[in-house]
Amino acid sequence: MTTQQGPQRQAKSPAGARTLAEELRARPDDDLVALLRSRPDLLNPVPGDLTQLTARLSSRASALRALERLDRFTLQTAEALAALPDASSPAAVRTLLAGPAKVKPHPGATPLSAADRAAVAAALPRALATLRDRALLWGPDNGLRLVIAAREALAPTAANPGRTGLGPTFAEASTGMSPARLQQLLASAGQPATPDPVTAVAAFTSLLGDRVRCEALLATAPEPALRLLDRLVWGPPTGTVPDATRPVTAQDAQSPVEWLLARGLLLPTSPGSVVLPRELALHLRGGRSHRTVEPLQPEPAPTAAPRDPGTVDGAAAGQAHTAVRTVEELLELWGLTPPPTLRAGGLGVRDLKRTAQALESTEQTAAFWLELAYTSGLLAPDGEVDEHWAPTPGYDEWLRLDTAGRWTVLARAWLSATRVPALAGTADGKGKQRAALGPELDRTLAPSVRRAALALLAELPPGTAATPADLLPTLRWQRPLRGGQTDPDGRDLREHLVGWTLAEAELLGVTGRGALGAPARALLTAEADPATVLAPLLPQPLDHVILQPDLTAIAPGPLLTPLAQALALCADIESKGGATVYRFTPESVRRALDAGRSAADLRAFLDQHSRTPVPQPLGYLIDDVARRHGLLRVGAASSYLRCDDPSLLNEILADRRSADLRLRLLAPTVLAAQAGPDVLLGTLRSMGYAPAAESAEGDVLITRPDSHRTPPRAAPVPVPDGPPTPDDTLLAAAVKAIRAGDRAATAVRREPAAASGRQLPRTAAAETLATLQTAVLLGERMWIGYLNAEGLASQRIIDPVKVEGGYVTAFDHHDGELRTFALHRITGVAELDE
Amino acid sequence: MNDGPLIVQSDKTLLLEIDHPKAAECRRAIAPFAELERAPEHVHTYRVTPLGLWNARAAGHDAEQVVDALVTYSRYPVPHALLVDVADTMARYGRLRLTKHPTHGLVLSTTDRPVLEEVLRSKKIVPLVGERVDPDTVVVHPSERGQIKQVLLKLGWPAEDFAGYVDGEAHPIELAEDGWSLRPYQAQAVEGFWHGGSGVVVLPCGAGKTLVGAAAMAHAKSTTLILVTNTVSARQWKHELVKRTSLTEDEIGEYSGTRKEIRPVTIATYQVMTTKRKGVYAHLELFDARNWGLVVYDEVHLLPAPVFKFTADLQARRRLGLTATLVREDGREGDVFSLIGPKRFDAPWKEIEAQGYIAPADCCEVRVTLTDSERLAYATAEPEERYRFCATTATKRRVVEALVKKHEKDQTLIIGQYIDQLDELGEVLDAPVIKGETSNAQREKLFEAFRNKEIGVLVVSKVANFSIDLPEATVAIQVSGTFGSRQEEAQRLGRVLRPKADGHSAHFYSVVARDTVDQDFAAHRQRFLAEQGYAYRIIDADDVL
Repeated sequence: MTTQQGPQRQAKSPAGARTLAEELRARPDDDLVALLRSRPDLLNPVPGDLTQLTARLSSRASALRALERLDRFTLQTAEALAALPDASSPAAVRTLLAGPAKVKPHPGATPLSAADRAAVAAALPRALATLRDRALLWGPDNGLRLVIAAREALAPTAANPGRTGLGPTFAEASTGMSPARLQQLLASAGQPATPDPVTAVAAFTSLLGDRVRCEALLATAPEPALRLLDRLVWGPPTGTVPDATRPVTAQDAQSPVEWLLARGLLLPTSPGSVVLPRELALHLRGGRSHRTVEPLQPEPAPTAAPRDPGTVDGAAAGQAHTAVRTVEELLELWGLTPPPTLRAGGLGVRDLKRTAQALESTEQTAAFWLELAYTSGLLAPDGEVDEHWAPTPGYDEWLRLDTAGRWTVLARAWLSATRVPALAGTADGKGKQRAALGPELDRTLAPSVRRAALALLAELPPGTAATPADLLPTLRWQRPLRGGQTDPDGRDLREHLVGWTLAEAELLGVTGRGALGAPARALLTAEADPATVLAPLLPQPLDHVILQPDLTAIAPGPLLTPLAQALALCADIESKGGATVYRFTPESVRRALDAGRSAADLRAFLDQHSRTPVPQPLGYLIDDVARRHGLLRVGAASSYLRCDDPSLLNEILADRRSADLRLRLLAPTVLAAQAGPDVLLGTLRSMGYAPAAESAEGDVLITRPDSHRTPPRAAPVPVPDGPPTPDDTLLAAAVKAIRAGDRAATAVRREPAAASGRQLPRTAAAETLATLQTAVLLGERMWIGYLNAEGLASQRIIDPVKVEGGYVTAFDHHDGELRTFALHRITGVAELDE
Repeated sequence: MNDGPLIVQSDKTLLLEIDHPKAAECRRAIAPFAELERAPEHVHTYRVTPLGLWNARAAGHDAEQVVDALVTYSRYPVPHALLVDVADTMARYGRLRLTKHPTHGLVLSTTDRPVLEEVLRSKKIVPLVGERVDPDTVVVHPSERGQIKQVLLKLGWPAEDFAGYVDGEAHPIELAEDGWSLRPYQAQAVEGFWHGGSGVVVLPCGAGKTLVGAAAMAHAKSTTLILVTNTVSARQWKHELVKRTSLTEDEIGEYSGTRKEIRPVTIATYQVMTTKRKGVYAHLELFDARNWGLVVYDEVHLLPAPVFKFTADLQARRRLGLTATLVREDGREGDVFSLIGPKRFDAPWKEIEAQGYIAPADCCEVRVTLTDSERLAYATAEPEERYRFCATTATKRRVVEALVKKHEKDQTLIIGQYIDQLDELGEVLDAPVIKGETSNAQREKLFEAFRNKEIGVLVVSKVANFSIDLPEATVAIQVSGTFGSRQEEAQRLGRVLRPKADGHSAHFYSVVARDTVDQDFAAHRQRFLAEQGYAYRIIDADDVL
């Protein structure tokens, strides 16, 4: 079995490999590792041998993926290659991108400046090397071949001119034209007649490609016709005209369009439209495929002057501290009052609003904190029948870390998350609002844009802030095809994502005042532990507060955790930020007393931790609340026993038989019992008394709200934008496996194919697929074994037309018609004996 | 992290540690744009609000200065979002400006066309504007000058008013500085006001706001309309103006319920201005009676809503607002800003006290315990009667007696809300009572006697809350109040803050019934005092008796 990626004549060149598979086979292992690293989809699953690998990387889906990951210049190079005939040389590519050197171009064309031409020439080898590394390009150096799927995707056609804006070649556009008409065109263009259509097309192609003759022909064109051509020259190359297929000649041409149509300078594509042939367009452009060719990555040049890196790190650390505290505050809140999950997943609008209020932020920001906690695995649905959002046990683990450690967890999760919090509250395709924490917030583009944007920030001089507008040109250059969906305002998803990334980075403390902070730099480069970089930048926790006569306590910085907890118990938090303002109220003091503190404890505690003397009104407040605290006592009893005769009650209390009732004397005439009224009655009766029942009240139950937790939950896995980038071990193993498989396959290949007849051909599924795809490309006839829906085996001779979505469409010689075969029912495939 | 005295909070409050060596410097830097909210002993709280930022813009500060002040003095990094917000908010001021156009009269013009487009789409703006002169300019009906400023402020695009003022009818007025002179802060206040054109001067009670008014008049040298809270206050103003300026009795008119004089300088009460007869404001013509060159609003924070409406029509006159606090319990600070003008000057209470211009005060809350039978009666009282009951409880009387006795050498004011309680106290203490029904003549007579120390104790109802001047009151005892009004507390404290001849400190007592709503209201008022920086104590009635 062979997989042939090019037309057969390539085989005549002895210098290079005959096929892409052969070329790959000759490449060193390191190159294969690099290929698999840059196109990880090829590893899913690990291909059996190089033939399979080649088939897979030649598939349309894989090739498109690879094209999407090219930078703008490499892509432009590929586009130029696609606009050139196969097996062109690098010089031809350079000429097409930069325009021919030292040749006077068409008067209307603007040639590239010398500096730009030099830049193109300098950048081209790298672009070609990249294409080759990604196995989009192969062949000898003077016969460059794009992988067919890539050529098909990029080659300009009338329907899809692509980014070059070129049309089909004259030969392509004139397909189906009658020989007579071709001769008519030649005559109208003032060219000698030719013997047949093939030579006629060749004559036209050479006319349009010949600068001098073409210019001479255009010189005879009326002004309006030239203006018309100008409109089409940079694309789109098609125009709508009525009755385009009417065979006009130079004599009866009236309008400018007819003038051009008569001379084959415009060609009809349908009765209603015309196209500018590629050769002419190139001539008019001065031989260039792209109006702007961008050999160099634009470097972001922020206008803001760099700040002192110390200021930036300080601001970032301050915000990092706020971020950690906010997440903690949020999850503490949700631990006590878990909000329900919506049936469709996510959080209700009202719950989001409430959370935003509690956090004193906007809903948009609150959604960010929620998503951050969720992506970090600190928050999840609890999985109960009546489902709620609640902190996970992972949250308790997280709490055990110090602030810097906690931040690192959050920042790592954020960096690779596909969740896009800013989408919460926006309308989806059906006009419904997307819920925060809901299922519709994943965007596979997010992590790559986020990383790319931060990487650009990291390359700027330290302390430099950048706006989305500063970064976007570079990001667009790096991945021109990865913009995501464009909204009605003409802004694509990437543009939004960059803005959101910078905003979120600021919130999270990844950046400070718009510039990348040192901890985030460590996070991106993985050269140091971000936590150890962050820790010294955080404010040192304090052990004191300032008490004021207006009954506030001000902690002028973060407090040691035990102090903060103790203070939060006896005072309410009034304002947060760099400092914390606590306010003492009768309620807050009562709360502390309820928790078992005494007035003396509180005063001693305040005395010990206050940098200022305890103000008299505060001391008075504590004593005043303590004075009244506990005057009223509340307890639970199941029943009571009352009697006007205290001695009778004493008698019952003293009686050993009443021990089980757990009686307690509340007042001389009242006993409380822990036993229920019926038990009390029964026991008293058995003791010989004659009690009467009173209409009883229900008993009191004490409930304490328990902080809610989900069962153990893993953090949500980011929705992959394709397979994960494999690590070195895996890559090495994969290459080894492919090589081994390849050796086996090439050994097997030498055996004659199982063409002897009566046995069904059997091949592995992957091989079947690869073989059939190859057959489609080469138009080969194949012999297959097929099981029909009833399980009956048959053998068929087919001419495969296309392989798509698990089906092969092919002309079946058995039935004499075009039909489809399910791939999984094909037992095997073999080449026919010639 | 630097060692600044300032901490910026996420709710846009600023905490200033005042014992810090750089505290004074920092206060000066942030005062133009941040409102002092609380000034207790150690850490002062300022708040950054859009109004404050716009006030700063009006005074010529820009966002760069504000950001710089925050960044320079902040101990911790200032959140970037806050800085951006500050810059954004400040950038909104002055995008729209009201100017005089040589041919079209009053116009609203913009330096930023989309802003003009945005506001012109508002339904509230449409009736106030006329034709579009050019893409950046639209005609405004001159009568709507105030209205449009008010609406634009609500839309978040405050307009800067460059349309200027009419000079008004000239009238010679000079300060008669014989044996006294303007205090430095008063002079600064007048300077700030005059420079800005119109606006509000914030000075604590007893800091001499009347003199600021008089000095402003001497600057304007034109006919002046002064709006004050009540008749007593009007007389006070007249008395003070005659004493401190070149004006004579005949040049000053009083326009009140009893007298309707219109003179070059006319003092009118809010009450008469807002009196309606047959559904219309009967005394509006006063505003047009003369070509006033200056309008002075005393106690701006009490300005009644209808006066705002009239003020909207007075935008071509210079306006001076005087107040002790910009806090309005109805939250109409924005109207003061847009109609009278931005804050032009303020000085914190404590700072003026430190300069010796107002007396230091010792505030003390005395808690009385109700008797058992009073507690039972309190518990069963109707909710709307509860406050009255606990505030007027008989137990308080003994405490008041004891306090008066303790300060028998001092001039003492007893202030209360409920007339029968005051009458009873007057009887017990053998002191005259001034209440609503007391005639003005009688009031003046009693005040005079009090000033001359012929009587040592005066019992007053809330009629005396505002603008009476009792220079030698050293002790104030508050027995009941208008629930938890902070303003009232400030006014009452102001009664004893006039600098004393002998320099000793003033005493301010609140007598409060323990464990009742009285105590809750008192807590509210006390908090206000503590936030103003007054140390206060709480003592038990037993310590006094």
